[in-house]
Amino acid sequence: MKGGALARISDWLDSRIGHRAIIRAMLDEPVPGGARWWYVFGSVLAFLLMLQAATGILLAAFYAPSSTTAWASVAFIQDQVTLGWFVRGLHSFGASAMVILSCLHLGQTLIFGAYRAPREMNWIVGVAMLGLVLAFALTGYLLPWDQKGYWATQVATSIMGTLPVLGPAVQRLLQGGASYGNYTLTHFFALHTYILPAVIFGLLALHVYLFRRHGVTPKWNVPPDELTRKTQPFWPDQLFRDVVACGVTFLVIALLTIRSHGVELDAPADPASSYLARPEWYFLPLFELLKYFEGPLEIVGTLVIPGLAGGALVALPFLDRSPSRDPRRRMVVLGGAGAGFAGLMALGLMAVRHDRNDPGFAKQQVIAHEKAALARRLAGKGVAPEGGVAVYQNDPLYQVRSIWDDKCAGCHALSGQGGDEGPDLRDYNSRAWILGFLKNPDGPLYMGPAKLEKGMDPVEGTPEELAALTELVYSQTGAADVNAALVERGKALFSEKDCDSCHELDGTTDGPAPNLGGRGTLAYVKSIIEDAGAPRLYGKKNKMPKFAGKLTPEQIEAMAAFVIAQKP
Amino acid sequence: MLQPHSGSGSGAVVAERRGFLKKVTAALTAIIGAAAAIPGLGFLAHPLRKATVWGGEEPLRVAAARDVKPGEPLRVDVVGQRRDGWLRLDRVNLGACWLVRSPEGEVRAFSTVCPHLGCGIDWDGDEKKFVCPCHGSDFDTSGRVLAGPSPRAMDELDAVIAGNDVKVRYRRFRVATSKKEPIG
Repeated sequence: MKGGALARISDWLDSRIGHRAIIRAMLDEPVPGGARWWYVFGSVLAFLLMLQAATGILLAAFYAPSSTTAWASVAFIQDQVTLGWFVRGLHSFGASAMVILSCLHLGQTLIFGAYRAPREMNWIVGVAMLGLVLAFALTGYLLPWDQKGYWATQVATSIMGTLPVLGPAVQRLLQGGASYGNYTLTHFFALHTYILPAVIFGLLALHVYLFRRHGVTPKWNVPPDELTRKTQPFWPDQLFRDVVACGVTFLVIALLTIRSHGVELDAPADPASSYLARPEWYFLPLFELLKYFEGPLEIVGTLVIPGLAGGALVALPFLDRSPSRDPRRRMVVLGGAGAGFAGLMALGLMAVRHDRNDPGFAKQQVIAHEKAALARRLAGKGVAPEGGVAVYQNDPLYQVRSIWDDKCAGCHALSGQGGDEGPDLRDYNSRAWILGFLKNPDGPLYMGPAKLEKGMDPVEGTPEELAALTELVYSQTGAADVNAALVERGKALFSEKDCDSCHELDGTTDGPAPNLGGRGTLAYVKSIIEDAGAPRLYGKKNKMPKFAGKLTPEQIEAMAAFVIAQKP
Repeated sequence: MLQPHSGSGSGAVVAERRGFLKKVTAALTAIIGAAAAIPGLGFLAHPLRKATVWGGEEPLRVAAARDVKPGEPLRVDVVGQRRDGWLRLDRVNLGACWLVRSPEGEVRAFSTVCPHLGCGIDWDGDEKKFVCPCHGSDFDTSGRVLAGPSPRAMDELDAVIAGNDVKVRYRRFRVATSKKEPIG
């Protein structure tokens, strides 16, 4: 009874909208010569386009396109939103799959000669869609506003700006201004999510319409009567193959996504950084091409060669004058296309090889990955309204580091290369630092740059004696791995060598040179930062400014901990 | 004369094979659709499973205790940290509350959000009562409804005196119900 009711509703609907005829017309197309695996690529592309649309809409529900929100919202999608990494990964691997499938589809059309009359217009529409797929990829790459997307897209828009006549205007229009900012993202977002989809779905409808108008292009060497005899309906014979191919494609994309836990998100875009930009893999051939044309010839790489290649692709149906679709009689066309494809592959591989053999690039990649991991971890605490690189403010060391840069770095260094007017504090609490100091207090890593009047003389002694004195000073830091016997020996030497005529070890008594009691402990370093000119410390010899009152006690404590933590 | 790929043949074998293919194709389509749709729906349903706006749940200092005087309710902003999706706002107005010192000296806090439809409740110093300017609900200094459409008393917030400070644990509650139900 229920089935009867459903059938009646369906009958009623059909009488009003006529959907059955539409579905029948869509499914009942005859495939001359029968269904083939060769024909699946177009359907897989249509499937991928729908997958991109669906994942894109999902992402848009959680993404905020502005220079202060883009990176943080993508980091939130990637690491916080349920299955965000998966949806974003599908979208990104789906984009790569679209490029690959577009090439396969184009290759199949070339081999079968399906671009020839009367299908020229459909070929041209297809080439336009390939261009749109690349435009999608280019605009989408920028949207996370991470280092990779930011710098790679800078290159692309800069190239646009170098094109003659309208180049600068087009660049400015596309960027939404003279330089990258909020409007660059809103413009790219509008292109990526409204304009390009509208155009590509329109062209897809036209493409399918034209395909249906002229029908499938069967293999070249099958006689007409055999084609007729072997004709099969699209549904289910061809659609079965199409659906299997779609399923395999989806499976591959999903497995790649799961294997890499989604797609990489680089550190937030930092206009102040110097980043070795690399485009997505499908743009590497163009990237490599640019290396071979410099100065006034640059336009050859940016416009002439890509323009000629694109033009040749569009004009192919009119250039191909061979009498038959048989590939053996179209060697010029297929040879040219093959050479073009091989050229692209070679350029891409060269780009990859260049980078593989460049230790500088490898090093930068490692740094970039570490920075990305840090930024993503810090983003878990929420990103301040300044957005993007403000994520680093979540690093407890960030504040102290900026105080260091502001107040300390003018005199001190942390590089192991020596400061400008004070000691280099890298590894300040190590035996090596202390020993180096004892041997040459006025050395470039120690008090030399401070140019103290009546500073300390180098300590003379055997290596064993110096080691014992070093251990004595080292023991003041509160380190756990102190050699007690050596410290005792050091104490004896401390008076033998008259160290005690200037230095005290009790941590309280004033003297002509710093009291070394507790040297290197948090409290000691704090007291130096507060007032190194205290009588217990450097007294009148001191040249370091007093920071008590200029920094809060918390800032001074954080700075002391920071200094102690500086290890190579 | 039936070829393995024959489309012209209309024999029972071909029909049976097509029927099977149709079922397999439909099943495969359903599997692919589900494999794509289920994670997508899980993603979309994130706000159903996790808070997307949170923070400021701890007691926050709103006033000095000495400023809350008997018979003179004090309106204070509750300022705290809020997490809003990816964003962290370190000092943001979470809302406001009325601090009332009872004759016994105890300090109580009431949300300024009217339980009727969410307007901001004012203090009428002449009449010595709280009034909602939107729909005319009146409340006494204990938050009880005196008149008007409010379905429940003013929403009391946890208030504590910590040293010289009044601290309030700010919450929002569903409006237009007789039950006081926290949101989020």
